[in-house]
Amino acid sequence: MNTAKPKAIAHDWFSKTLAGTLLGFTLSIGCAGLFNALAGDMPLGVRGQLAMWLTAPVWKGALSGVYFFRDGKRAWAWLGGANLLVFGLLAALRLG
Amino acid sequence: MRSEFIRIYKSVHTWTGIVAGMALFIAFYAGAITLFKEPLARWATPPSATHGTAVPLDQAPNLIAQTLRDHPAAAKDFRLHLKAAEHLPSGLAWQVLEAGADDHDHSSARHFVATLDTGGVARVEAAHPSRLAEFIDTLHRVVGLPVDTDPNRWIMGIIAALYAVALVSGVIVLLPSLVKDLFALRVGRNLKRMWLDAHNVVGIVSLPFHVVMALTAVVFAYHDGFYFIQDKLIHDGKWATAFSSGGAPAKAPPRDPAAMRPPAELLASAQDFSPSFQATSLQYLNVTGPRAAVRVWGHDPTAHSPRFVGGFVAIDPYSGKIMNVDFLPGRQSLPNAIVSSFFALHFGTFGGTPVQWMYFLLGLAGAWLFYSGNLLWVETRRIKAARDDDGSHYPPAQRRDARWMAAATVGICLGAVCGISLTIVAAKWLHGRVDDLNAWHQVLYYAVFFGALAWAFGIGAARAAIHLLRLAAVFTFAIPLTSLLAWLLPSLGMWTHGSAATLGVDATALAGGLGFVWLARATTRRAMQGSTDSVWSIRREKS
Repeated sequence: MNTAKPKAIAHDWFSKTLAGTLLGFTLSIGCAGLFNALAGDMPLGVRGQLAMWLTAPVWKGALSGVYFFRDGKRAWAWLGGANLLVFGLLAALRLG
Repeated sequence: MRSEFIRIYKSVHTWTGIVAGMALFIAFYAGAITLFKEPLARWATPPSATHGTAVPLDQAPNLIAQTLRDHPAAAKDFRLHLKAAEHLPSGLAWQVLEAGADDHDHSSARHFVATLDTGGVARVEAAHPSRLAEFIDTLHRVVGLPVDTDPNRWIMGIIAALYAVALVSGVIVLLPSLVKDLFALRVGRNLKRMWLDAHNVVGIVSLPFHVVMALTAVVFAYHDGFYFIQDKLIHDGKWATAFSSGGAPAKAPPRDPAAMRPPAELLASAQDFSPSFQATSLQYLNVTGPRAAVRVWGHDPTAHSPRFVGGFVAIDPYSGKIMNVDFLPGRQSLPNAIVSSFFALHFGTFGGTPVQWMYFLLGLAGAWLFYSGNLLWVETRRIKAARDDDGSHYPPAQRRDARWMAAATVGICLGAVCGISLTIVAAKWLHGRVDDLNAWHQVLYYAVFFGALAWAFGIGAARAAIHLLRLAAVFTFAIPLTSLLAWLLPSLGMWTHGSAATLGVDATALAGGLGFVWLARATTRRAMQGSTDSVWSIRREKS
């Protein structure tokens, strides 16, 4: 048996839920933007629809997975980092 | 996986499930019925001279010309129905929306139909189609609320979000023991174990269906907001231009609809383009304007449909040229076919009638899933009699939250079931006897719903469950009995259609009624013979 007890996981219900709801949403918009930028050959009408449909699974996926973080601070940090990465890529694609 | 995560996700599953469960029960029960919206609309439509037959195609141009001459307002959007059904007009139909109404809410629209009399003269009449099937659909779309408006869709969206989280968390909780538990239905003395096994197996087996429903429901609730934000952030405000054809001049002299190709020719164009497509109606849009279009709506048995009512090919009515196939089943580009598949997966518009029945059963199984989730919540909070109880003590009092949750579950779920059945029955009994039948459909539903809720809290879940299941059986049996009575006694002023679809409504209700009788009996047995240390027991004596 492992005697070195792993650190307890903080519930941080409010902080994690808020991170999943807010940052999960912005992440989903960023992912939709990435898809939109990468699928530039597709006509705007259908590309935009696919981008819109991408929002729900990313948002709800992030909101569902957020309770795996050890505490609320980590949830904000990791999801914030993911947002920075996605929006950074998006900005790079737009400039490039 | 660390057991702590399992515990955390168990809490997530418990609380998202308990908040969303009862609203989802209504959405799924009403949604299962909505799969057969058309048969239900046919069942509820009284026989009339202007409905139930199809106008011969060669007479349609005459009807269209006369109607547009006398009623120019119809030119914006009217429909020629090609099939005969009890609820479809024998000619043209259009509606005039009230200014400022929500574009999802058609309850205030005024309906008109144009038919040809024997002398070939067009007759236009106001129509008052039954909104029964539409009302049940609305209950399903906005989780039991009366109208499909923006605020109500927001509420539905929150429920859908909780539902999505409940699904993921439920799977996470079950994962570690999935292999062991999946095929184990431990029927036995441990009732909670049996309910949990059943809840798990139904949840896992229908998981793909639920994932589809949760994600599409979030999109149906919030798509306006998603599009708005994405337009600002990623489409640079160009989203609106994606759907305007641009080219045509804004100001053009009105065109003469008499110059349009006859419907038979437009249908032939559609058929040439897609031989497997089966047209059901022609929707004429802005026929006097520069962007006139006819949407030939229909189904393709070899493909999935982008909308609940099917798909369409847009044709220029003046040239007969194909304008747009983005919504034509089986002939879409790959990205369009993918977008359409999300709709088809929600509506069950692929694979024909067998898939509709499968979705109907999955919908009912979903309703049961939420009901059983609430039962497990109550069961977890049960206060058991002491183990060494020799039977000389009264059973312990149950917690108030468990009693209230049991009452709310029984009242809301069975209240919705009873209300829907009664409001269906009312379509025949109240027709011609009240001024505004569509308002009565709502009043009756909510009267039964809130009555059931009050009853459940008043006398407790155990007794109310038995009463409400019996009431559900009575109201549901009343659906086929009404049809039988109407057939035997025509003097009652009601009707019974002979079409397979409408008789199917009666047959399904008969089966449903038998199901409720069975449930009422099982519930009575539990209340009388089950353990007394339970909110479901009505035995007062010592155990």
